[in-house]
Amino acid sequence: MKPGAGVSVERPMRPIIFICALLPVLAGWAAESLSQRIDKLIAAKAGRQPLAEPASDSEFLRRVYLDFTGQIPTADGARKFLANPSADKRAKLIDQLFADARWAETMADRFHVLLMERRGEEEEWRKWLVASFKANKPWDAMAREMLAPEGTDAAKAGAWFFITKRLEKYGQNPTDHPGLTRDVGRMFMGVDLQCAQCHRHLTVKDYKQRDFQGLYAAYSNLRLQNPNDTIKVKWAMESLLKKEMEFGSVFSETKKTTGPRVPFGVPITIPEFKKGEEWAVKPDKKKGVSGRLKFSPLREIATRMATPENPYFARNIANRAWFLMMGRGLIEPLDLTHTKNPPSHPELLDLLAKELVAHKFDLKWLFRELARTQTYQRSSVLPKGGAPEHLFAFAKERPIAAEPLLRSVLLATGERDRVTKLDEEDAHSLKSFGDLFQGAFANAPREPELAVTPTLKAALFLRNNEALLWLVQRREGNLVDRLIKLKEPAKIANEAFLTLLARNPSDAERAMVKSFLQKQPTLQNAVGDLVWALLSSTEFFVNH
Amino acid sequence: MNPLCKPNEHALSRRQWLGGMGGAAAAGALGGLVSPAVGEVLKQKEKQVLFIWLDGGMSQLESWDPKPNTQFGGPFRSIPTKLPGIHVSELMPRMAKKMDKICLVRAMRTQDNSHSAGVPRIQRGDPKNRGVIYPYFGSAVAQLMGPTASGLPPYVWVKPGSGGFKPTDAGFLGPKYGALAFGDGQPPPNFLRPATLSPEQDTARNELRRAFNFNYAQPRRKANNEANTYVFDTAEILLKRREIFDTSKYPQKEKDRYGNHLLGQHMLIGRKLLEAGCRFVKVNSYGWDTHGDHFNGTVSLVNRFDQAFAAVLEDLEATGQLDHTLVIAMSEFGRTPRINGHAGRDHWPEAWTIALAGCGINAGAVIGATNAQGTFVKGDEYDIGHMFHTWFRALGINPDAVEFDNGGQPLPIAHDEMGVIPGVLA
Repeated sequence: MKPGAGVSVERPMRPIIFICALLPVLAGWAAESLSQRIDKLIAAKAGRQPLAEPASDSEFLRRVYLDFTGQIPTADGARKFLANPSADKRAKLIDQLFADARWAETMADRFHVLLMERRGEEEEWRKWLVASFKANKPWDAMAREMLAPEGTDAAKAGAWFFITKRLEKYGQNPTDHPGLTRDVGRMFMGVDLQCAQCHRHLTVKDYKQRDFQGLYAAYSNLRLQNPNDTIKVKWAMESLLKKEMEFGSVFSETKKTTGPRVPFGVPITIPEFKKGEEWAVKPDKKKGVSGRLKFSPLREIATRMATPENPYFARNIANRAWFLMMGRGLIEPLDLTHTKNPPSHPELLDLLAKELVAHKFDLKWLFRELARTQTYQRSSVLPKGGAPEHLFAFAKERPIAAEPLLRSVLLATGERDRVTKLDEEDAHSLKSFGDLFQGAFANAPREPELAVTPTLKAALFLRNNEALLWLVQRREGNLVDRLIKLKEPAKIANEAFLTLLARNPSDAERAMVKSFLQKQPTLQNAVGDLVWALLSSTEFFVNH
Repeated sequence: MNPLCKPNEHALSRRQWLGGMGGAAAAGALGGLVSPAVGEVLKQKEKQVLFIWLDGGMSQLESWDPKPNTQFGGPFRSIPTKLPGIHVSELMPRMAKKMDKICLVRAMRTQDNSHSAGVPRIQRGDPKNRGVIYPYFGSAVAQLMGPTASGLPPYVWVKPGSGGFKPTDAGFLGPKYGALAFGDGQPPPNFLRPATLSPEQDTARNELRRAFNFNYAQPRRKANNEANTYVFDTAEILLKRREIFDTSKYPQKEKDRYGNHLLGQHMLIGRKLLEAGCRFVKVNSYGWDTHGDHFNGTVSLVNRFDQAFAAVLEDLEATGQLDHTLVIAMSEFGRTPRINGHAGRDHWPEAWTIALAGCGINAGAVIGATNAQGTFVKGDEYDIGHMFHTWFRALGINPDAVEFDNGGQPLPIAHDEMGVIPGVLA
């Protein structure tokens, strides 16, 4: 083809494009995106292990919708995406979803479950999470706001919840300061120091008692307070720390002390103040003044922990982001980072952590890079001969939390608008469904939700719960109604599969649906049964 | 300070297991037969367990090991039993006549004297600390033996108060080996098929669901779908046996015989669950922690236990089920010989009694003894780890050969420095 033939190039090439085109040549190393480097490292480790095929368009579509909008795509959305012939439609969809307002909401949901482990809900906390992700607040800043909350700033007050919820008593237990200390280590550094509270860790050599106690020196110093005029949420009063924490192993008589310290770091010297001069702002309960210490162990810990200088901090969030996208951490368990438990892909974790630091803890950038990898975009259909999980040779099926599952069910059954309009007290209101789905699908408080876990209670709920079954009864404009009006079994099958599973049925499945519909006494019931069977299927229940 | 690190509560490896569960889950969920090493267990599938838990601490002195007319003996007399020379408290007239059916171990000496540590530690068999939370006996049996051919959930728990799904009993084995609890004897939520759904329609739609699942799971890892299939199937089996929980259909005479009190009625439901084929049935009674007014409280507590225990043994024996059902009646510890200022007895793990009956148990044996005042064990003493060895052996499981598989880490099923209590096994 001669230049210009058949293509109209009307404008001269602009210099900027020229420079962009040259860049890869000028700096070959920089041309490779993080996603490409990730895929290379995954392939290198897999060696001769065959990798799964790329995910089908349907698989990809459903996966990115669940991950970044917190619900499955609509039937129309699926139809359009599947029919779109353009080669870069996946990259475009990723960009589109990352620009969607639901992105921040979904990240907030996922980090809520990850960080709070079903301890409960709080509106201000959620607002803070959503606002943080919406503004793309760097993770180190988010972490510092949780680790040492600034209660008087209304925009940041919601971050108190990470600490205050853990200071609430449950059952007959005393205030669980050790549990809070433990979770600070787990969530922000990927180390579970629980067993190093009373003695050196028995199975993990890296975890010393001083590491727990140094953190405990700061976090045991908090007392839960009710909201007041200056702080609109529950908050915690930090007491004056005058001397180092004394501790001793239950295995020996020796007593040791430590100042506040970030695990594996150096103790922070506690400065001395003249009596009466310890406070920058003196607390006054009557006036609702929370006070501000000149030396706050919490602030000291926060600034030293959430920083590039603390290698655990970047590695932990890189590992957790990887886990959220791939269903399995590079280090497993997520909170057992130590030298004898190396990552499955050490170079990869180093790379992710390093790049994240270079990008100033920009989580949106990291998640987008992960979404662009072939590793993320592989099928959950196993490669021939199967593959071990830790090689990331196929897409691991991941759990769908109670909330996105509910959103997906309401969207698919076409009942979302009706349910949203109902009075809270109604058995079919959004609130009622929210409670039911949490009861059936969420874990108990303090139980992390890490893997697909079918339970008897969920099965009983899907099989017999009247509100759930109400969703698959025919009602003006809902999915069952729409399907019945299609009349022809093949059309019904197509629409049902697209709506619930974001894919077209196979010929065999279409035949299955046809024979099922014809066998049932009434089409009305039969279509409800079809929708129920798809809704209760394993394929619907997991993010695959 | 609230110590995190209770030796029996190291959560690490449990989550490790959960994290890797996608792979290992279904093998367990499908029949619970995970380790090839337990193949021998398969052959003895119909062995079952009735585990009676008297929460708070039953007084050995007012039950199995009375010391009348001694410093700490309390006001009650002892009565002779079917076994020559063996006496029990006068509060147990029915069991006195059945002493030839059971075995007492009067030489228990365990480690914990608080409820919060004792209840889990005892039910977990207090193994050596390996940095993991061990399963309760019920969860252990559920995992090692799986459901019986009935397909009913392998570990069910009849108890006063809240019901539902109690995952924490399972420790590192993972929530699916937790207990299905029938709170106040009632089945869990969504147990019954609603009236709007006919059985035929229910069957048809579930067949369709299975067909869809088959297509989906074919080219993928089987684990998640198998686990999902298992829980749906269990739901169906429960529904088929719903008559068990309809206590209104039980004959009044039967109810009267077990006793018209919670323990009696729950024991009766427990027996029905055993008959239906549940592998492990725990019947729970609360309120045994008699720090004050112990003797008045104990009269009714022990009397009710005596009635319900005698009735269930009688029925299990009559149906022949006792031959393959291991029966255990116990608390987390006994009660202090010393009587406190509130006419109460406090916690006493130093010298107490566990009662056993049924499969593999040497009926009519009384093993070990306490000293004349009942303060300490005289001669050999046994910890809960010995008891776990004994129970597993009674069920045909060799604790020296069978191990738990904690995500690749082999773990002993009972304390590896202890063994069977001599004389208990038939």
